[in-house]
Formats: sequence, structure tokens, C-alpha cells
Amino acid sequence: MAQETIEGINPTRMELLKLKDREKLAVKGHSLLKEKRDALIKEFFDILDRVKGSRGNAESTLKEAYENLTAAQIIMGDLAVQKAALSVNQSVEVDFDSRSIMGVSVPLIDSKIDSRTLVDRGYSFADTSVRLDEAARKFEESISLIIELGEIEKTIYLLAAEIESTKRRVNALEHIMIPRIQNTVKSIEMRLEEMERENFVRLKMIKSSMSAEET
Amino acid sequence: MESSVAVIGDIDTVTGFQLGGLKEGRIVKTNQEAEKALDELIENKISVIIITEKIAEKISEYIEKRIGSDVLPMIIEIPDKSGSSERDSDPMGELIKRVIGVEMVK
Repeated sequence: MAQETIEGINPTRMELLKLKDREKLAVKGHSLLKEKRDALIKEFFDILDRVKGSRGNAESTLKEAYENLTAAQIIMGDLAVQKAALSVNQSVEVDFDSRSIMGVSVPLIDSKIDSRTLVDRGYSFADTSVRLDEAARKFEESISLIIELGEIEKTIYLLAAEIESTKRRVNALEHIMIPRIQNTVKSIEMRLEEMERENFVRLKMIKSSMSAEET
Repeated sequence: MESSVAVIGDIDTVTGFQLGGLKEGRIVKTNQEAEKALDELIENKISVIIITEKIAEKISEYIEKRIGSDVLPMIIEIPDKSGSSERDSDPMGELIKRVIGVEMVK
């Protein structure tokens, strides 16, 4: 691997110049990609801090919501709860946008979930339990938490995919492309020097044979 | 861009989310139903799909196939009434390990 060169390149000066340009480009690209990778990882850590509490938070709120729902179902009966649920007004509205982190477009969600008063919910109070109100409130809360969590998790997944591919490219450049070009440059240089020496020797030989003829 | 949220889950989950003001709910029992519901929701350009962990686990390959690395729709897995399922691996932790490298095990 250390001696690996690019196949099929003639040891000429022209090729040498071309290769040197390629090497410059590869080194430049490598450093740019490295910077990109570092920036992405920094961004990744920033978001990671946000996700840590987020999932636990959403899940515990949801758990409370389920508990209240079950209680409401016990008190009112499954059907009554379903009936009430069907008459609830739609409350969730999300604005979906995307922003770009180093060329990766990630979702940006603006959820508008107003915590509503009892009247806004839309079911009748007459035949519902207070547990149902509590459950509805908790569910509203958890929906907004869940949506926020989803946004963060999706961002992490997208960033991770981008980091991985950037890493792969950095490594490919660093460990394969650049050494290969450098090796080829070296071998061409050696070949050219060798040719020069051969030429020099040839000239010397001719000169000595010519001077031998003269005398 | 205005868009909506939908939930796929068992009857209690869907009822609960409806109570929270989420109208678009699909009650599914079998894997086929879940896949069909997912297809329909994607077709209706729903951008956020909340799905219970149990169902998501069953049709995870299908989800992977449909969504891949697209930004939309966003699939969010949540625990259902019986609590969060114990997974043998933490996908987020695994991901972090893979991305950052072994030297940053958290």
C-alpha cells in the first residue's frame, strides 16, 4: 500500500506537472472537508445536549397522559371517552420549514399548540370526568413535546449521515488518494532523473569514443 | 409550509391523541394495516407521523424503505400505554458511537 501508485501514467514532465496540480487540489479538498467535518461534529454535539432531556421529558409526560386516560376510561367507559375524543376540535398546527447546517437541510418545526381552556376543547362537560380534562391537557402537552423531540432526533440522524459520508471522504483522501499521488510523483521524478543520468552517460560514451577516433 | 400531524397506533393511543386535538388518527392492528396507513399518510403529504414503538418495530423495514433519509415525513416513535418497550440497543447511543468514534463513548 505504501508504494501504491496510479497505474497507466507515462513518466513524462507533462504528466508530472499534471500530477502536482492534482496533489495540490487533493490537499486543499482534504483540508476543506476536514473543516467541514469538524464543524458538523461541533453542531452535532450542540444538538446532542438538547436531545438528552428531551426524550425522557416527552415520555414521562406521555405516561402521565396515559394514566389519566386510563382513569377516565375506567370512570366513564371506553365508548364515552372515544365519543368525547371525536368531538375535540383540532388544535395542532405545525409550520414546517427547513434550515441548513453546512449544507445539510434539517427540519425546523414551529408547532402552534395553544393550551386551550376547557370550553375550547369541544366536548360536553355534562357527561365527562375531570380526569378526561386532565388527560386532554396532558396529551396536548405531550404532543408539542413529541414534535419538538422528533425535530431534534431527525436533525441528529441527518447530521450523523452527513458526518459519516464526510468522514469517509476525508479518510479516502487522506489515506488513499493523496499518498497514491505522492508516490506516483516520486516515481516519475526518479524515472526522469534516471533518464537524465542515462543520457549523461551516453553523451560521455559518445564523447570518449569520438576522441578515441580522433587520435 | 403548513402541514399536519397524524398518529398511527392502537385504539387507546389514537383516542388519547385525539383528545389532545390531533384529528388524523389511524387505528391499526396488523402489520398490513399499519403499512397501508403509512402509505396513505405519506400520500396525503402529512409531514409528521407519530407511531407507537411496537408498531414501528414490526414494520421498521417498511418504514426504512419508504422514508430512507428524506426530510419529510418525519416519523416519531413513542411508547404506547404499556410504557416504553425495552430495546436491546439504544439506537441513538449506537449512532453517536458510530459517528464520533469509539474514543467518545458516552
